[in-house]
Amino acid sequence: MIQNTSAARSSFAQISKVINPLTSAFKTPAGRIGLPLVLLHVLLAAFGSFLAPYSPTDFSDATYVKPFTSAVDGAIPHILGTDQFGRDVFSRLLSGARSIILISGIGSILGVALGTAIGMTSGYLGGKADEIIMRIADGLMSFPSLLLALLVLSVSDSLVWLDGISSTFATRKESILVIGTMAIVHAPRVARVLRSATLTIKTQEYVDSARLRGESAYYIIFKEILPNALPVLAVEGSVRFSYAILLASSLGFLGLGVEPPSPDWGAMISDSRSILTRAPWVPLAPAAAVASLVVGVNLLTEGIRDAQKLPTELPE
Amino acid sequence: MTNNSINQTDSAPLLEVKNLGVSFFTPRGTVRAVRDASLTVRRGEVVGLVGESGCGKSTVAFSIMGYLPGIVQVDGEILYDGKDLVGMDESELEALRGNRIAMVYQDPQTSLNPTMKIGPQMREVLKTHLDLGKQEIRSRAIELFESVGLASPDTIGERYPHELSGGMQQRVVIALALACEPDLLIMDEPTTGLDVTTEATILDLIVDLKDRVNAGILFVSHNLGVIARVADRVTVMYASQTVEDADVRNIFNSPQHPYTAGLLSCVPKPANELGITPRLKSIPGSVFEARLEAGNECLFAPRCPIAHDQCTQNAPEISDADGHQVRCFFPDEVTSDIWGELKPRRDFESEDDAVVIEANDLNVRYRSRQGKKYILFGDEAQPPVRAVVDASFKVTKSRTLGIVGESGSGKSTTARALIGLTQKSSGSMLLNGDELETDSANRSDDQRADLRMVFQNPTASLNPKLPIKHAITRSLKLFGNFDNQGAYDEARALLEAVGLNPDYIERIPSELSGGEQQRVALASAFAANPKAILADEAVSALDVSVQAQVLNLLLRNQQENETSFVFISHDLGVVRYVSDDIMVMYAGHVAEQGPADAVLSSPSHPYTEALLSAAPEPDPDATPSIIRLDGAVPTMRERFTGCFFADRCHRKIDQRCDEIEPPAQSVNSSNHIIRCHIPIDQLVSQS
Amino acid sequence: MLRFLLVRFSLIFITLAVVSLAIFGVTEVLPGDVAEAILGKSRTPGALETLREQMGLDRPAWQRYVEWIFGVLQGDLGNSLVQDRPVTEILGSRLQNSLVLAVTAFLISVPSAILVGVWAGVRQGSNADHTVSVISLVAISLPEFVTGFILIVIFSSTLGWLPSSSLVMPGTSPLARPVILIMPIATMTAVLFGYVMRMTRANVIEALNTNYVRTAILKGLPRWQVIWRHAVPNAMLPTIAVISINVGWMLGGLIIVESVFAYPGLGLSLINAVNRRDLPMLQAISLLIAATYAISNLLADLAYAWLNPRIRISS
Repeated sequence: MIQNTSAARSSFAQISKVINPLTSAFKTPAGRIGLPLVLLHVLLAAFGSFLAPYSPTDFSDATYVKPFTSAVDGAIPHILGTDQFGRDVFSRLLSGARSIILISGIGSILGVALGTAIGMTSGYLGGKADEIIMRIADGLMSFPSLLLALLVLSVSDSLVWLDGISSTFATRKESILVIGTMAIVHAPRVARVLRSATLTIKTQEYVDSARLRGESAYYIIFKEILPNALPVLAVEGSVRFSYAILLASSLGFLGLGVEPPSPDWGAMISDSRSILTRAPWVPLAPAAAVASLVVGVNLLTEGIRDAQKLPTELPE
Repeated sequence: MTNNSINQTDSAPLLEVKNLGVSFFTPRGTVRAVRDASLTVRRGEVVGLVGESGCGKSTVAFSIMGYLPGIVQVDGEILYDGKDLVGMDESELEALRGNRIAMVYQDPQTSLNPTMKIGPQMREVLKTHLDLGKQEIRSRAIELFESVGLASPDTIGERYPHELSGGMQQRVVIALALACEPDLLIMDEPTTGLDVTTEATILDLIVDLKDRVNAGILFVSHNLGVIARVADRVTVMYASQTVEDADVRNIFNSPQHPYTAGLLSCVPKPANELGITPRLKSIPGSVFEARLEAGNECLFAPRCPIAHDQCTQNAPEISDADGHQVRCFFPDEVTSDIWGELKPRRDFESEDDAVVIEANDLNVRYRSRQGKKYILFGDEAQPPVRAVVDASFKVTKSRTLGIVGESGSGKSTTARALIGLTQKSSGSMLLNGDELETDSANRSDDQRADLRMVFQNPTASLNPKLPIKHAITRSLKLFGNFDNQGAYDEARALLEAVGLNPDYIERIPSELSGGEQQRVALASAFAANPKAILADEAVSALDVSVQAQVLNLLLRNQQENETSFVFISHDLGVVRYVSDDIMVMYAGHVAEQGPADAVLSSPSHPYTEALLSAAPEPDPDATPSIIRLDGAVPTMRERFTGCFFADRCHRKIDQRCDEIEPPAQSVNSSNHIIRCHIPIDQLVSQS
Repeated sequence: MLRFLLVRFSLIFITLAVVSLAIFGVTEVLPGDVAEAILGKSRTPGALETLREQMGLDRPAWQRYVEWIFGVLQGDLGNSLVQDRPVTEILGSRLQNSLVLAVTAFLISVPSAILVGVWAGVRQGSNADHTVSVISLVAISLPEFVTGFILIVIFSSTLGWLPSSSLVMPGTSPLARPVILIMPIATMTAVLFGYVMRMTRANVIEALNTNYVRTAILKGLPRWQVIWRHAVPNAMLPTIAVISINVGWMLGGLIIVESVFAYPGLGLSLINAVNRRDLPMLQAISLLIAATYAISNLLADLAYAWLNPRIRISS
């Protein structure tokens, strides 16, 4: 009886431990704005295709329709107007949200997972291995992430071996490359932060106690250290997500990463430069979208940090 | 140098704190840091403000300085020279601070600006408050450095704080406070965190200052021994209230508040005339928290042995009888035995002399990597640090070996090597006659189960994110073949055995007080009945009343399970209380070892002698001993010759001390060993 | 000190060696090669073969790497595939243009960010502090192309005060027409300002809560002296690290800003090189950016050591 309740309690405790940084962030002013903003974006990305009144890619004759007006009487109004090809900006925005949040989300999750594993192991083991791993991380970090992404994308055409992977996931090769780049540029940065957290936690006496009980390194890292590194991890995840969004949208703006017809926030802005005076709403909508998403994520980061009383970390 | 040497105390008080109340409004609720505090300081007098952690004594000190950050409400009056400091505006306060009222803080290392040289830090005070020329400021600064006993006062201004030892840093802080010859000096735990030999020299300086400067001193401390050494009058605080205020002798010899009496009986004292060490008494329960709103009651009543009905129905006010003020309805009932009668420390003597722990020529060397930042580059590594040198000792069944020494003495390293957290370099370690592997990871589960460790910091020794049952049940499952249910039940039983409510089992450590956390750590160490426990400064972070509870728990466990202990502490009083044998360590070397009585009495190693004379006794009439050590414990490196203690020894004889390693001399061919060049018969106490 | 410099320089050398390998690896060792990349999807096997031989791609990768590195060490970064001129010749003026942009942005944003950061940190929790915090959060959240776009809409399309693109005639300096620099510099300044200001503010707040600042206050020192002599110097230590890291960030931002305003700098050359698969050009620019980053890190370390007596003494 007691057994069951205590087991239930501990599994509940596990779950609440993971979401705790988020729920406690909600109690701070920054988190109270940031969390709903991010959630709104995520929901729109997930269910946007059901909400989208028009096709995001089909051309129509209704070009330069102003926001909140209908092209023909009785039709569904174009909330955010249409562009020079008569495409509904709102529908394109929703479709673009899906791709950017998916790519940045997966990219940062991979990067954080990889970085956490490397950083914690490196920090816990210490010694020469740790030093070498961290030197390599430093080397990787001296490379601006946008530059690395550009380099990788510039050779994407010749990466024939990627065709198989991309068709398995029913996605484009570029998306996979961008996700991969994100993982690679984020991992060393996450590893650094998690390593230093691990180094601090490692010297705590409860870790010594665990070693004296004869616990394995695996047990100590995951059961004793990880729960204490969770606040740091939550902040890192949030920070990485914001950089991933910036990277993905910047690539789109530069015309890399997405094929022209499919909507991308960055590309939507660069494509509409020529119609800036004629239809300012076309670039304004994606600009506002990317801005509100990143502001939301940054506010969330701030909220988690405040709630966990963590110091402001270095950027990038 | 007695406490009453000064009689020129003015009748008009310099500082009067009247019914001070301080509340902090935090996001987690209101904290009543000070509920009702009153005290008086006169010119030329040292008033000791004493109490346990969280009692509000530091808040009183900072209120006087007008420095209370955050959202705060201050009630009552703080009269300095007739002016109320409460509500005084910032510019008036600026003119007083550092000038008429100055402060000395705990932790001098963080109190000095790390990026600024000492000289400018001193000169800016003089420049701000005094109308002096550049040259005058310079010479005044040197004068001040000299007056606090800093060596080479004319060049010390060119150094950065981190280049000075803790004792020197505190002297600098005191010099800063004295800069403008203040009327009132507030000292907040000025010796806490310093080594005991350094503490003794700083206390000497403070006692000396009292005679030299014409100021009133408010001396805040948790340490009754320190208070007894410096104070003329004492104010006792409990649960954010002042509860007793009297002349230092009255406080120590005839306390009238049950809390003061209890506090005094919690401090370990030397054996009495009959050679019996009295068992420590302890105050049950825990402090009335500052977060709680007080009702109409005595806040000490729940823990008080003489509480009456009246105590829970009315709040006592301070009453005065011949200058002895006390906040208690029944001060006349307070006698020396209200906290229980005198009992010997323990009521058993072990007959079994089976050796449980044995170390032979144990050595630990650190290959320090200081300055060498990278694998391929950086400075040459310095020679290895000799953290422990040739330590040999035995601990027999159900006996306690106390290891005493200052920071850097190697006492903790010895324990960590024994337990397998630090790698020994050479020598052997045995548990029940079986060789112990160097690394804990390579030892058998049985050995790990038989030899356990309790750490210093209870907050750090429990994982803050896991319920307290975690550490206990893991030990039980790994060592005791318990299944989940069995471990859970046993953990509850263990919690109960250390005096905790077994329902606490699902709580996380931050929901427990420091003393409760240390009980959990003990419960986890007691799990699966170890043969021996290493306690590394296990009570050092605790308040005296809690410390007494934990010490008695340890002794009870020893009695019931015949456990052997290695008890490590910098506090000689505590070591003296628990130990059968004592080993005195200095800079990695064993200076002296043997049966406790023999080590603590003459003849002794010069270092032991200095240590004994440095330890402040909670007795205002104790004559302070004059043996003082300058400097700090050095770091011993490889290729070192001579005696480890030669640099600081007050009895250094000749060249031999610098060149030859001291021999281990046996006193009367017993197991009492002293490592010194001076012949045993000349090592008898000089005082 | 000399030793410190020596160690740091050798570290830079090692980092650059690693980076050069990475660059070479990404562009050469990955499946597929330059010839395929140049010809793209329209390749025929015959053309591919010819181009490979022409470029020496039939030799092993390590040989080509060694040749490339030796070239780099002698200042020969190869020939641009597109323009068929030495890369160094093309990049010279481009580098100059980028430096004008980056250095000006740096000189404007860092000092002002530090001042505002201290100002806000000292007023922690006030309305002024909240306002500055929100503005800086927005500044770091906006991608450069969004900031740039907003500036163009306001100052170019709407007000018509500034040209929307920052073209520079070949052979002339951007400083000849400073008006074209205003918006690119403003865009770069925004992000840098945001980061440095936030970090300064956080560090000042932290420094104000230390015991040594408490000591300074309780010495009765005037407030300005407490802040500028005790809190700020200590707060600058971690801020310097942020500034140096931001230089790397700024170099990435440069690519976007130059692209937004069509400003002929390194970033624009990089985008062109990417679009046209001009690999020698790509490698040269990447190496240049990595070197700039490493050197700025060294400068930051020196500044740190200069401010921090602990390091100064021990080295």
